[in-house]
Amino acid sequence: MKFWQKIYLISILVFFVIFNAASIMVIERSHNKIVSQEMNNALSQNMSIHSSVDAIVPILRIYDSIDYEKTVLINIANEFVGKNKDQLVYLDIQSDSKQTIFTNIDTEIPVHREELKGLEKNEINYIVRDIDERTLVFTTNIVDINQKKYVFSYIKDISALYKDRIDQYRFFVNVDVVVLIIYLIVMYFVSKGLTRPIDRLNEIAQRITRGKFSERVRIKSKDEIGVLANNFNEMASVVEDKINELERINEGKQRFINNFTHELKTPLTSIIGYANFLRTTKYNEELFVDALDVIYSEGKRLESLSLKLMDMIVLQGDHFQLIEYDLSAIIAELEPSLRMKTKEKGVMIVTDCEAGKLLLEKDLMITLIFNLVDNALKASSERQHITIRTYWNNNRYVLEVVDEGIGIAKEHQSKIFEPFYMADKARTKSNNGAGLGLSICQSVAAVHHAVIEVNSEEKLGTTIKVIFDPFAQKGGTGL
Amino acid sequence: MPKKILIVEDDIHISKIIRMNLKLVNYETIEVYDGLAALEAIKREKFDLILLDVMIPKLDGFALMEKIQPHGIPVIFLTAKNSVYDKVNGLKLGADDYMVKPFEAIELLARIESVLRRYGKEEHMIQYQNLQVDLDKREATINGKSIELTPKEYDLLVMLLKNKNIALSREQFIDKVWGGDYYGETRTVDMHIKSLRKKLDMQEHIKTIYKIGYRLED
Repeated sequence: MKFWQKIYLISILVFFVIFNAASIMVIERSHNKIVSQEMNNALSQNMSIHSSVDAIVPILRIYDSIDYEKTVLINIANEFVGKNKDQLVYLDIQSDSKQTIFTNIDTEIPVHREELKGLEKNEINYIVRDIDERTLVFTTNIVDINQKKYVFSYIKDISALYKDRIDQYRFFVNVDVVVLIIYLIVMYFVSKGLTRPIDRLNEIAQRITRGKFSERVRIKSKDEIGVLANNFNEMASVVEDKINELERINEGKQRFINNFTHELKTPLTSIIGYANFLRTTKYNEELFVDALDVIYSEGKRLESLSLKLMDMIVLQGDHFQLIEYDLSAIIAELEPSLRMKTKEKGVMIVTDCEAGKLLLEKDLMITLIFNLVDNALKASSERQHITIRTYWNNNRYVLEVVDEGIGIAKEHQSKIFEPFYMADKARTKSNNGAGLGLSICQSVAAVHHAVIEVNSEEKLGTTIKVIFDPFAQKGGTGL
Repeated sequence: MPKKILIVEDDIHISKIIRMNLKLVNYETIEVYDGLAALEAIKREKFDLILLDVMIPKLDGFALMEKIQPHGIPVIFLTAKNSVYDKVNGLKLGADDYMVKPFEAIELLARIESVLRRYGKEEHMIQYQNLQVDLDKREATINGKSIELTPKEYDLLVMLLKNKNIALSREQFIDKVWGGDYYGETRTVDMHIKSLRKKLDMQEHIKTIYKIGYRLED
């Protein structure tokens, strides 16, 4: 059964029971009150008769004649009946020999009357009796006249009260039906309304299950359901973030694999293609040299790719022995080979280094500097300068490689650290690049708790800053 | 008339080796290095077939494929990726075949030929000096005179003609002519070549290539 149905049913059941019980109690109470009033009425009437009879008892005693007694009693009775003609009251007087002296009752009085049992003088007993669909109150007392007992029964018809009660019930049933219908309708909407947010939560949860992770519940109430909805949304956000992150990582990996296969297969296709061409076709000197040239250069490209990959694999490990070195000394050491490298292209190397002792893994550092200079060199053209600068700035040690080359377009800047990303494929390839250099630099920087910043302006050049934090390097929690 | 093939491949070396191989068997080729250039070339000229690399700059192979389709030009995808998704995606987009890099020249030629045949663009006649082969009738004639050839000899001859100037190995002959499930000796190929040379008087033209196999030369 659904939750709203439960609320609905239970509330209706409870309402029905309480409403009915309360109504019955009210009806019964007011009925009982009226009945007892009538009863008291009847008793006082009885008593008034009793007292009027008592008043004449002494006179009757004097005469002591049954007939006279009878006549007097009948007279009293007639007078009483005459007075209460329009009320449904009856009087019945019997002698102790069960002889009826007076009665104006129009129904059979049962022969057996338990109210008479043990009835003493000066006592009034009463009983309510149903006779022929009528309800009658019998109040009875005994009067002793000249050693003879007379049973006075004052009888009042209170059927009307019972009829009233039935009318009340009838009316109540009508009210009950109407109220219940109204209640049914109101409660239907109330319980539906109360549980609608739950349904919504449910629906959204299912949508999320089906993979629509960006779905959120929109419930604005401040009750428990509102709180639940908020928590639910927060949970969904966390899940979504996690999934997005996983997807991003996965996509990154997939991209890496795709790019890697591409980078691997392209030179392989050339090498195999040319080698096969040479071995299956007629010798032609020009083609022969061309083909060998391609095989050689593509082979070199594969070599460079494999070296870079090796660097990357090494960098995947996380245990590097960092030893204190002066970075400027390492740069000074590297300078001749860097100069040799750039001389071919006619590019000048300028160094401007402040001494700075840092915890370094020397080989990785050399890889980093070589890669940065290599990138700068690829961007530069003849007679331009590449500046390698190191300096202290706010307790940070900065290594800067500045070129005056072609720069990096804004749209590429965020992606250049991605493995295999090449801003200009053709140029990168003609330089034997695989798009791994900066990716490796970043990994090296991470090993040294350093960050890399890129500043580039198209056609003006690029500045790459590697910012070391010696405090963080020593195990501190540098910013 | 030689068939014209558009090579869309951003790697210059690969593009060139494909061109060289296609030239050997008398295909005419145009090379372009990116998607947009390919689109221009298609608008400018009529091609019998397009060899299309998936990862090309400016407009990638899949996107280009959609633009090629209305022209009804058969396309063979060249891809470095060996993933099922790429293959399915390529074929779904209307490519006729695909080749995963690195590939063998004779495999590429065979695929090109098979796609062209599917489009009814295959050669019906091969002319080689005074030898004429009617591919529909499976008949070889020299100067109009019919030459009696066994079915295997005929298949061997057609394979040599279609891969003219390319050395073919005995294994390749066996694979294509006898079928992959043939386990006979490679000497069988030598016997058939010997017989072909004699029947066609082509001692000089069908060259034995050391360490490889045979080559039909112009």
